[in-house]
Amino acid sequence: MQLYNDFFGRFGGRYVAEVLRKPLDELEQSFIAAMSNEGFLSELEYLQKTYIGRPTPLMFAENASNILGGSKIYIKMEGLANTGAHKINNALGQALLAKKMGKSRIIAETGAGQHGVATASVCARLGLDCTVYMGEVDMARQRPNVYLMEMFGAQVVPVSSGSRTLKDAVNEALRDWASSWDTTHYLIGSALGPSPFPDMVREFQSVIGKELVKQIEENVKEDVEALVACVGGGSNSIGFFAPFIEQERPALVGVEAGGRGLGNGEHAARMTGCGVEGIVQGYKSMFLLDSDGQVLPTHSISAGLDYPGIGPQLAHLGETGRVIFTRATDKEALEALRFFARHEGVIFALESAHAGAAAIKLAKEGSPDKAIIVNMSGRGDKDIFITAKIIDGNRWRDFLLSEAGDA
Amino acid sequence: MHKKRIMAHMIPYYPSPEASYDVVRGLVDGGAWALEVQFPFSDPTADGPAIQGACTTALENGFTVDKGIDFIKKIRKDYPKLPVFVMSYASIPYRVGIPRFVSIMAELGINGLIIPDLPPDYDEGFYEECITRDLQPVPVVIPDMTEERLSLITDKAGEYIYAALRKGITGQHTELGEDNIGLLSVLKNRGYKTLAGFGIDSPEQVAKLSRHAYAIVAGSVFVRICKENRDDIYGSVKKKVEYLLL
Repeated sequence: MQLYNDFFGRFGGRYVAEVLRKPLDELEQSFIAAMSNEGFLSELEYLQKTYIGRPTPLMFAENASNILGGSKIYIKMEGLANTGAHKINNALGQALLAKKMGKSRIIAETGAGQHGVATASVCARLGLDCTVYMGEVDMARQRPNVYLMEMFGAQVVPVSSGSRTLKDAVNEALRDWASSWDTTHYLIGSALGPSPFPDMVREFQSVIGKELVKQIEENVKEDVEALVACVGGGSNSIGFFAPFIEQERPALVGVEAGGRGLGNGEHAARMTGCGVEGIVQGYKSMFLLDSDGQVLPTHSISAGLDYPGIGPQLAHLGETGRVIFTRATDKEALEALRFFARHEGVIFALESAHAGAAAIKLAKEGSPDKAIIVNMSGRGDKDIFITAKIIDGNRWRDFLLSEAGDA
Repeated sequence: MHKKRIMAHMIPYYPSPEASYDVVRGLVDGGAWALEVQFPFSDPTADGPAIQGACTTALENGFTVDKGIDFIKKIRKDYPKLPVFVMSYASIPYRVGIPRFVSIMAELGINGLIIPDLPPDYDEGFYEECITRDLQPVPVVIPDMTEERLSLITDKAGEYIYAALRKGITGQHTELGEDNIGLLSVLKNRGYKTLAGFGIDSPEQVAKLSRHAYAIVAGSVFVRICKENRDDIYGSVKKKVEYLLL
């Protein structure tokens, strides 16, 4: 895979109003230069080890594998990275790059809040000002992450336009950047947006896949038949898949949010039958659009997966068949969350639980001499206000009321 | 004394399907030289909160591309001599099909088509299609562009070029200074009819810019007027154009 591609097949590109041209050109040049600069790369590696806590472990899910009786399941524990998700890999890479570019301020958008927390955290670490745009709906359902961002010193700006979720936060961040790029870097959280973002995010996330290559050699005795990752915009999956893309095996499986079903506004399944080719937010990819090109509403129980587009490289890999897409419903994700919690002592983020659900299905169909590796892109602490309400509603309600009484 | 021309931006179906035609009448009767009709998009990233909010409302009010076409047809019928430009975002023509969208616009007899997120090097055949259909594509330029980039874009232009007067989004006040006036002078010297906009809300700006640009684009200011004067949209819009032309 080349460092900088711009287009992946017919997807990707830089479809932006002229005002964003210059900062994107500048970013492209700086990114390419940094990735061959030994000083930059060694500083990044040092921070990955000492600040993020890399490498993250690859865990054999022995109990789950025995219960399912098919392929062995392994879990890449990205949730053990500092701030609880893979998002920190990209946030650190881009923030360090921005600092080298002489920027003093970072803006970001966030859906589930993990990217916002990761960005706020690295900004605190590197001494950069930080503003995070977040849809009002997402702020309400991911309140714990809002507190964390503020604790790191970030300003969290509620977005009340449109559907008040991730795509609207992206719009606001793009607007901010259009007038502030002299001093500000827009730290996009997923492998999408105008070039060079999809390439840059993949490169900073590919640390996951590079570690996995070594860990498979050292720890996995079975034949690895599939890598499974959830796909919202697609940053964890593209980083997880990166070193394997140009090989024929293992199978690469991307899991989208099947939500409550396939009606309009009920899911975010762009690659499994509902998406169409479009140009939105600066790039060409597969999107959920109506016949006029208007962006359709989405739904997922996980705030990180309900984005109407998908990273252009993943769209291309889906079209060429290298990545196989499937989807998991809200219900299946919750069942997977409980299954791995109960039997492996790990709590998946709701996003990653979609990958967990697909891995369970695949493992059942396989044999014990095969292995499936699932990326737990984040851990589920942040989802407690969603999951506790569903899993243990009455006692959670009583707890919240007593807490509110003390407040 | 330079002629003052205002290209007034408006959004069909905002604030309502009927009232948006009152906006057209008010703008024309107030003395607007041309209309810039925005086909609303759900995610208009180059626009500020006023226009974005108006686009959301227009879509909630039932705007579709077909209804936009009918809206333009009515304008063409009622005001056959009025220059009409259509502005939208790439998602709409790309989904409809760029050849089909351009062909429809050409048949409507509009004077130019502005799609800011289809720049000449990522245009999906938009410029060529416009030339084939004898429709003017109107590219967007900004101050502080490199000469190389400016030439690349101006080479694709027909008679008109849209000059955004500053970086950022629509609806914030714009200061007129060396960078933006300089750009306008370059374009004027090269013989283009420049449509200059972004943040225009005062007669002083219009008067000053009229020395350097062919027409001055005002948009967010009318959206705000529509929002604040629901009882007399026609009258308040008309008065605002007259004021800007003072």
